[in-house]
Amino acid sequence: MAEEQKNVTPASDNLLEVHNLRKCFPLKKTITGKVTRELIAVDDVSFSLKAGETLGIVGESGCGKTTLGRAILKLHQPTSGRIFFEGQDITDYTSSQMREIRKKMQIIFQDPYSSLPPRSTVGGILSEPVEVHNIVPKDQVKEYVLDLMDKCGLRSYYYERYPHEFSGGQRQRICIARALSVNPKLVICDEPVSALDVSIQAQIINLLKRLQQEMDLTYVFISHDLSVVKFISDKIGVMYLGSMVEFGTKEDIFANPLHPYTQALFSAIPYPDPDVKMNRIILSGDIPSPANPPKGCRFHTRCPHAKEICKEVTPEYKDYGNGHCAACHLLNE
Amino acid sequence: MSKTNHLSGKEVRAIAKENKKIIKKLEAYKNRKAPESEYLTEMKDDSNILEIDDLHTYFFTEQGVVKAVNGVSFNIPKHATVGVVGESGCGKSVTSMSVMRLIQGPAGQIYSGSIRFNAKEADGTEKVYDVAKMPMRDIHKIRGNQIAMIFQEPMTSLNPVFTIGQQLDEVTFINNPKATKETAKARSIEMLNLVGIAIPERVYNSFPHELSGGMRQRVMISMALAADPRLIIADEPTTALDVTIQAQILDLLRDLKEKIDGSIMLITHDLGIIAEMADYVVVMYAGRVIEQGTVQEIFHNPMHPYTIGLQKSKPTLDSDSDTLFNIPGNVPNPINMPNYCYFRERCSSCTKKCAGEYPGMIQVSPTHYVACHLYGEEQNNG
Repeated sequence: MAEEQKNVTPASDNLLEVHNLRKCFPLKKTITGKVTRELIAVDDVSFSLKAGETLGIVGESGCGKTTLGRAILKLHQPTSGRIFFEGQDITDYTSSQMREIRKKMQIIFQDPYSSLPPRSTVGGILSEPVEVHNIVPKDQVKEYVLDLMDKCGLRSYYYERYPHEFSGGQRQRICIARALSVNPKLVICDEPVSALDVSIQAQIINLLKRLQQEMDLTYVFISHDLSVVKFISDKIGVMYLGSMVEFGTKEDIFANPLHPYTQALFSAIPYPDPDVKMNRIILSGDIPSPANPPKGCRFHTRCPHAKEICKEVTPEYKDYGNGHCAACHLLNE
Repeated sequence: MSKTNHLSGKEVRAIAKENKKIIKKLEAYKNRKAPESEYLTEMKDDSNILEIDDLHTYFFTEQGVVKAVNGVSFNIPKHATVGVVGESGCGKSVTSMSVMRLIQGPAGQIYSGSIRFNAKEADGTEKVYDVAKMPMRDIHKIRGNQIAMIFQEPMTSLNPVFTIGQQLDEVTFINNPKATKETAKARSIEMLNLVGIAIPERVYNSFPHELSGGMRQRVMISMALAADPRLIIADEPTTALDVTIQAQILDLLRDLKEKIDGSIMLITHDLGIIAEMADYVVVMYAGRVIEQGTVQEIFHNPMHPYTIGLQKSKPTLDSDSDTLFNIPGNVPNPINMPNYCYFRERCSSCTKKCAGEYPGMIQVSPTHYVACHLYGEEQNNG
């Protein structure tokens, strides 16, 4: 299996390609260090992304979307599978090799309160990556940072200020500016707006969209909020308990959701109009623990259409036309 | 970025001295002994279960007084769901905490105003209490049994060292001192059944950490229901939950409202939940009510620029525009609030008049009120 994966070659026009990515965390080890129980956080996920596109990843808590985002950046070393970035296989890169690549791939974290160092000024936070990666000559760093702050909607006099002086929305702008300071190509946005208020969310989403056009960025946008994902993404991947259950373009997924989980997820969103009464599919039960996932199709314990085969056999992840992939037995009938 | 971040030691000491004086007075009032007649009052309208009238809840901090709730008035009719919506820091939670008298003293105090609650006694008669004037020693008359609360974080609001059963039985014991262990257990299991827990006996014997978030929230709801409250305050009941679990809990709350025949005060920041659940909506901004009305009025005919902006800034599943509408700027600093309209700096349709004093509530229809200068003139002319 591992041999096979090494022979996978990426298509030339994809910026990011992920093949059969799998990440397991050990839960129990014997005294010799052999793993006896493990949690499969990301299971056999594959997708590809072209430059300039936005991939939205949605799912509920514990579905592995954050782990996937971090595994792409190799903040977690994948257990198996291949990651291609700009045609290079980066899966087995050492940390010094990764340092070069990190210039091109950056991450924005969810919580702007804990992801900024409290003891450096905004100027310090933003110039550090620029200096480390030699983005511009030393004497132009300040000018470059001020220019960047302006792009991200931060006023120039914030340069000397500390993170605690800012509100959540402003801090998220600082986080965005920090990620963009090295001129990356790929930015992983891990729930960048879920800690913010609605009116501030809109500001940040618009900023991300504008910067994407200006700087020609590719986003992997991780969120649990479907309406935000729909707004910003070109392609959408829906995850459930570690595996990708559906993947496709935004239009396909919203017009024609194939997987029962996607359908339930869409119908669960409260709609801000008192006169619209939705035909809601309410899933029974809770999300099973990822440490002990159900056999067969992982969704069968909550699926309203589950059949006998779903309890036994893991459904195949197949293309149902035009790159719209899903993993469900019902689609094969 | 507040200007008040740089106070000199002298200023801080002056503020602290001032605060101490006020707090001492308010604390003494809170802890006084008073006959019931002192806080009995009359409802303005008998069809309401709760009337909040010009409520001021302040926090006396070293930087100055934070007016978290600054003159809030609204009513909760019987058998209705009232949704309170606003961004973080707008005072929606503090309002609900004031109703429950759970404001953390000595820094937090109800400064003035009244909260009239129509309580039903055991013998079936109705009594109207002014909750804001009740001494703390008498608050048990309504807290928990007449008004119950469902908190935002089911993870932290259950006691980790007791089983669910012990915690649920306690509610019955407090409300009915004559209850035996068996009757309390029967009642608890009945409650767990009511909130749709499949195997109540097992949950009864488990500890909170053994349950998932959705289950814990169900337990919290059953605990709130155990005493047959007349009013349930649900403070962001689904914020910590996943979308599919949220749908379950909202469905449950809607069902229960019909079963228990009570009122719900639903606090949330999600307009979608409000549209689905509420009959009346109260929109709050920076400690004040800026608009209130029926759910139809607020969603089909929003009047305050903030309400309009809030609705436009949320992406919906069927919107197709390229950029989102956004309200510029941030919520103002809660210390030293200006005396003009708090929304003026962020408002796109602000006029000369907005530099004047804070706009009063203008009645647009029998149920629809808005606090904005844009509509005052029309009213005067017409």
